[in-house]
Amino acid sequence: MPELKTSTAPAASSGFSIGSWQVHVANLFGTRHGALGASILLVLLLVAITAPLIAPYSPLEQTQASLAPPSSQFLFGTDNIGRDVFSLVVHGSRSSLMVGLGAALAALLIGGTLGILAGYFQGPVEAGLMRLVELFQTLPVIILVLCAVALFGSNFWLLIAAVALAIWPMEARLVYGQYIKLRDREFIAAARVADLSTAHIMFREILPNAIQPIIVQVALDASIAILIEAGLGFLGLSDPSKVSWGRLLFVAQDYMDSAWWMSLFPGAAICITVVGLNLFADGLNEVIDPRSTSGVGGLQ
Amino acid sequence: MLRFVGRRALLAIPLLLAIIILMFSMLHLIPGDPVQALVGDYPVPPAYRQAIETKYRLNDPFLVQVGNYLANVAQGDFGFSYQNQRNVLDLILERAPRTMLLASVSFALAIPLGMAIGIAAGTSRRPGVDKFWTTTALIVYAIPTFWLGQLLVMLLALRLGWFPTQGIGPLISRTQGFAWLLEKLRYLALPVLAFGIHEGMRIARIMRASVIDTLSQGYIITARAKGLSRGRIIRSHVMRNSSLPLVTIAGYAFGSALGGAVLLETVFTWPGLGLLLVDSIRLRDNMTVIGVVIFSALAVIAMNLIVDLLYAALDPRIRTTR
Amino acid sequence: MSLSPLLDVRDLKVHLRLGPNVVKAIDGVDFRIMPGECVGIVGESGSGKSTMARAITRLMPNVNIAELSGELSFEGQDILAMPDGALRALRRGRGFSMIFQDPLGYLNPTQRVGRQIEEALSCDSSRGSNRNRVHTLLDEVGLPDPANVARRYPHELSGGMRQRVMIAIALASDPQLLFADEPTTALDATVQLQVLQTLYRLHKERNMAMAIITHDLGVVAELCDRVYVMRAGKVIESAETVRLFEHPQQDYSRRLIELSTRRLPRELQA
Ligand SMILES: Nc1ncnc2c1ncn2[C@@H]1O[C@H](COP(=O)(O)OP(=O)(O)OP(=O)(O)O)[C@@H](O)[C@H]1O
Ligand SMILES: [Mg+2]
Repeated sequence: MPELKTSTAPAASSGFSIGSWQVHVANLFGTRHGALGASILLVLLLVAITAPLIAPYSPLEQTQASLAPPSSQFLFGTDNIGRDVFSLVVHGSRSSLMVGLGAALAALLIGGTLGILAGYFQGPVEAGLMRLVELFQTLPVIILVLCAVALFGSNFWLLIAAVALAIWPMEARLVYGQYIKLRDREFIAAARVADLSTAHIMFREILPNAIQPIIVQVALDASIAILIEAGLGFLGLSDPSKVSWGRLLFVAQDYMDSAWWMSLFPGAAICITVVGLNLFADGLNEVIDPRSTSGVGGLQ
Repeated sequence: MLRFVGRRALLAIPLLLAIIILMFSMLHLIPGDPVQALVGDYPVPPAYRQAIETKYRLNDPFLVQVGNYLANVAQGDFGFSYQNQRNVLDLILERAPRTMLLASVSFALAIPLGMAIGIAAGTSRRPGVDKFWTTTALIVYAIPTFWLGQLLVMLLALRLGWFPTQGIGPLISRTQGFAWLLEKLRYLALPVLAFGIHEGMRIARIMRASVIDTLSQGYIITARAKGLSRGRIIRSHVMRNSSLPLVTIAGYAFGSALGGAVLLETVFTWPGLGLLLVDSIRLRDNMTVIGVVIFSALAVIAMNLIVDLLYAALDPRIRTTR
Repeated sequence: MSLSPLLDVRDLKVHLRLGPNVVKAIDGVDFRIMPGECVGIVGESGSGKSTMARAITRLMPNVNIAELSGELSFEGQDILAMPDGALRALRRGRGFSMIFQDPLGYLNPTQRVGRQIEEALSCDSSRGSNRNRVHTLLDEVGLPDPANVARRYPHELSGGMRQRVMIAIALASDPQLLFADEPTTALDATVQLQVLQTLYRLHKERNMAMAIITHDLGVVAELCDRVYVMRAGKVIESAETVRLFEHPQQDYSRRLIELSTRRLPRELQA
């Protein structure tokens, strides 16, 4: 195997102070990508929360005009049964963000726990857990989720669980990797010598040091979860009782020749969300590892 | 080196077994009648029910059932699709080449595209060039393939009429030779474009990061000290060394694609494995679902082995240490 | 020896930008080497020795340079103002080369060493004669069985062999001036001596000027005609080797010499 760069680890500081967080947030907004990404996410969050206030129509309301092109009355046009696409897109942000955040956090919980367990208990537990991770990573994510949906149905909460089940291995790998990297650092050894409890070592010493790459991974996971949810919706396999961007594209598939707006706007919404999450992750990476952008790059 | 690959192959066998067992166990988690779970939502004639129960030993203990199923799979018997009235294996073997064609041509586009962008961005001395490509790759990669597919269909097929909107062309074609190839290519063009661009951007991102890492290595300074031109340094020192991480990730992506590009095949009604999987899920044709999933796991595992071989071919350090 | 210097550096400044700060890695250095001369550069860690060598050979890594100024002339040509093409030509033939502390990192792990040497040959001729020249070079730097070594990958060689390969690469363009940045620090003591002897032999045989960067004043005393003592980005003293050892003008130089003589007996044992 090629040597992996280990120098990207965050500086070892055993403290976990609020002050450093404020600095990081300030730094995040100092990077162009980070600022843009965070702004996009904030706006999306606002839209999702205030959806009923922003949307001119209820997502279920069927107006007289069906397949009407974008106009001042219907900003994004209307769909085949006369619903306002703008209102649908606004309401769709809710299920996308919920699946994205919910699945990413659930994946963090599962993956993080298993990753830490694998790192902490060396030997057979470690080997067994890593084989499990490998097993889950052998099946393509979308196929895993499809299987789960096929077997258990497409209830909204089951969907979040299925997506989490598909993406947790990435979290487990990351947390495990971080843990291994930090496990042998002096300050951890020092904590061991000082006879601090296992939980103390894990949560007070190791977690603060591993947290930043983990947040990056959570943001990326959320973007993957949103893409999967959209994909399921597009296949017509998401929860039919929820408005979702993917499901709008599923319907749009049959009207591509007559109503481009039914595809364009929901698709663009997915894109913007995913771009926002990726920019956010990029910005955070820059803050963690300033080396990557300082100085000049390229080949002289 | 052969031993290294042989060992990896041996490790892959329990993985495959585990997946088959896992899939079969999941069937049992479906609430309700196990026969119905296997066959799908169809009224089953009693004789057929009887045959299924004996074939899958549904009245025996679970472990016996699993062992029995494994034995079936080992003989190439993935069961019978009631919906399609055909053997699952036959279905898979009919669909797989189409998916393989789609995936291969797409990656044949994506790999050079991604490598070129990654190298251009990573080696450029002008920060603007790097920023441009990085941002482009980030945004384009965020476009879901199926939506990109819809956009391409609306623009290039419906609006401009250059390409057909879906399918793989007429089964019985009246054209021959070059014209036949051209016709096939017209059907292949849009799905390949959507898939190739998406995967190309993924590759570009990985490649750029890898190129930047390579450029910080000492041997690049040595190459400069030799007085080699930029192009020569890129060709003989940057490209190969930066491709190493790419091999793993692109290999996995390609393996996943072989198991069915589910969303893309749906947009273009491309009758490959992915479409078969989706249709079977909609119709609760679970025998077929499990068959396709096992096949796709097999594709990923086989691809991972090829990646190992490729890695060893690219990196002499692997060859001697293992 | 001719009177005009091979390399003449005046008031060289290299300031690097590190985040919000500017590090004055080199701050007004004068430096010259006569044809065929061997010069030592000593000084504590971080004093700017490597940075100076890299600035002169224009092999700076990707760092954010705040200021790079001075007069750098090699055989009367201005190196700093030189366009890339001319610089490449100079590196490919009768110009200057450099070898580094860590030969493993400075050799491409995925290429056979023969090819890496061949790539550096001054002008491309036929394959067969190139291979002969590679073998001759490997032989010249003291590697037995050149044909075998040429077919190996860097990780299949020992540290000393790798450094000899680096030397062969540097010599492939038949340079008039060789910078050696701590060429033996990464090697164990016996190998160090052999590699240094090889370098010295090549310097004499080829009448090639050499600048050796080292922490080891013993090496300087043995090999070098003149010494530059650096500290904090400046040359604080430069003198003929004998004069420096007998009458150091600066306290700092004196301390360096004392430190190294105290270490010397152990080195001799090795
Ligand atoms: N890549 C770099 N980026 C930023 N600053 C650097 C870089 N390389 C060197 N410096 C700074 O330049 C100064 C001189 O470093 P240099 O490596 O030239 O010292 P040196 O004398 O070669 O030390 P050593 O004996 O340890 O090799 C140091 O203050 C160092 O911090
Ligand atoms: Mg140095």
